[in-house]
Amino acid sequence: MIAVENLSHHYGGQPTLLDLGFRLAPGEKAVILGANGCGKSTLLKILDGLIAPGAGRYLYDGEAITPLRLKAGGLRRRFRQEVGLLFQNPDVMLFNPTVADEIAFGPRQLGLADVDDRVAHWAGKTGVTHLLPRAPFSLSGGEKQKTALAALLAVEPKLLLLDEPTAALDPRSTGWLVDFLAGLKQTVLCSTHNLSLAPELAPRALVLGEDHRLLYDGPIERFLMDETALVQANLAHIHSHRHTYFRAPAHHHHPLKKGVVEHRHFHTHDW
Amino acid sequence: MPALPVDRARLIAYLTALVTFSFLTSPLWLGAGLAAVLALAGRQGPRLLRRALLATLAFSGAASATYAALSWWTQHRLPLDWLLAANLRVLLMALLTFLFIARVNLFRALDFSRRLTFLLTLAVSQSLGLRRTLDDFRLGLHSRAIRPAGLKARYRAAARAAAWLLDRALANAHESAQALQSRGFFK
Amino acid sequence: MHIPDGFIAPQMYLPLYGVAAGLWAYGAKRVGRELDESGLPWLAALTAGAFALSFIALPLPGGASAHVTGVGLLAARFGLWQAFMAASLVFALQALLFGDGGVTTLPLNALAMGFAGAAAARGAFLLLRGRFPAAAWFLAGWIGLFLPSVLIALALGAQPLIAHDAAGRPLYFPLGWSVTLPALLIPHALLGLGEGALTLLGGRLMERLHARYGGVA
Repeated sequence: MIAVENLSHHYGGQPTLLDLGFRLAPGEKAVILGANGCGKSTLLKILDGLIAPGAGRYLYDGEAITPLRLKAGGLRRRFRQEVGLLFQNPDVMLFNPTVADEIAFGPRQLGLADVDDRVAHWAGKTGVTHLLPRAPFSLSGGEKQKTALAALLAVEPKLLLLDEPTAALDPRSTGWLVDFLAGLKQTVLCSTHNLSLAPELAPRALVLGEDHRLLYDGPIERFLMDETALVQANLAHIHSHRHTYFRAPAHHHHPLKKGVVEHRHFHTHDW
Repeated sequence: MPALPVDRARLIAYLTALVTFSFLTSPLWLGAGLAAVLALAGRQGPRLLRRALLATLAFSGAASATYAALSWWTQHRLPLDWLLAANLRVLLMALLTFLFIARVNLFRALDFSRRLTFLLTLAVSQSLGLRRTLDDFRLGLHSRAIRPAGLKARYRAAARAAAWLLDRALANAHESAQALQSRGFFK
Repeated sequence: MHIPDGFIAPQMYLPLYGVAAGLWAYGAKRVGRELDESGLPWLAALTAGAFALSFIALPLPGGASAHVTGVGLLAARFGLWQAFMAASLVFALQALLFGDGGVTTLPLNALAMGFAGAAAARGAFLLLRGRFPAAAWFLAGWIGLFLPSVLIALALGAQPLIAHDAAGRPLYFPLGWSVTLPALLIPHALLGLGEGALTLLGGRLMERLHARYGGVA
């Protein structure tokens, strides 16, 4: 479905993505893992044809995609209908007077006949039916996220790109989103830095390193067991801990001063 | 008396030079000034000159072309003296400003006032954040526009961005006031 | 409307700096009094908002766009002095950090857009708000863009009169009012319609947000 070949991007002289290459088959689901600032959002915007790759190519269904090639015409119409991007901040995608208008925006552009049915269907699926007459800007973060998702799905895209969709969600909404995505037939590429959530989102991981290169591409479980790789990607860290013991632990051969032991261990932190 | 910090000295020199240049009307003096500032810029000279040219081209070009056409039409001659002097002066003053921007840390130059430095630092850091999000607002509409977005949708999106912006600015104001308070800025 | 340095004669920009400095001093006091200790972060945030506002594209028919000034929206929402101080700071930052606009043209921009434009916008808004709220927002946006263009056209067109050589030839901006007035006023009267529409939509959204959350200012 998509192919990324030797893709690089620079911003203000600094690299944001270096020499990436991967493919995604129709119906496949994958997560992009990476620490903050490693280029996840930039990659998703390139895959949505919003910014141009500096070097290399991005092919969607065999067509090279750049903002210039999407200026007008049949390719634009097809690509914008078939590919949807959920921005990290859903505020930036919502501009219609009501939630119902927001969901109807895409279908209306396509001139579809069953706009109202689609709105009702996707509002029900995403659980925003009770919000339909409300103004999108007056909703909570999670409600905005669901509205934006319903608006994207209403044109039935084939590829769904999601930028940190769980960053602003409470645990219950996060659980809902995981189940919801699992039930979608679409090809899904979802970015996150949340390690414990990642394996629930997709079986395949694309890991961006802090050097902005693709550090790993493969089954997510294998990556999560590789402590060295996790630390290298800045997704986990090693730090010293001080534990206070009432007595020296048996495996220490020397008596410990003040009953304190300092040791290092490996941590993953989820935010 | 303590020595003047270098950034502040440069700010004063810049402002003095800018006002002086604004009085010059002879192409000879303006040319000499341009050579002097270019020498001062050293290796950065050509790049800064290019930026100065690009930044002033639209306005200077329009004014020059209109004036030249008007003179030709009414007096059948080109105002060559004016074209040379005015364009040299505009270029010289813009080049000086770009050299100033490249060489001087404005925040350090103004650090004689703690309040002014805080004001500028807060304003600039928040501006950059808001500008980044604003760019996402533009892309957000773009990514959802299956056909080129109509005038109505573009107005709605722009108004939404403007309202979000001022609302966010309001929230930022409260947060940074609290942050400054917690760091003991206010007595 | 970025006038670079070198077109406004010192005979004009130096006195304008004097006038602007007086207003800045008074404005600083005013804003300080209105906002007590949170004045500084508030002014910084408003400046950042005003700065970012100028990056919003004003949609024109046919996919083209111009830039928003936002003066009307700021003044209608936050009042003359806060809008004036924030707009002045934006001009200063644009000139000294990014090289947009000029340092000698700063007082002209600050007085025309930040002061006169904001005062007219705020005045129109307060006058009409009670009976015609939609017209109040729209007119604030239109006049906040249009009035400054009149003043700047007058200032530019005055250059050949105040700064010329012995033969009467211009030394700074060369074109008189017969050119500057139509060249600036006609497009800005039309752009003002777009700015007015955007100010109306944006203002209404802010009112609804405000009604929902309450909050300050």
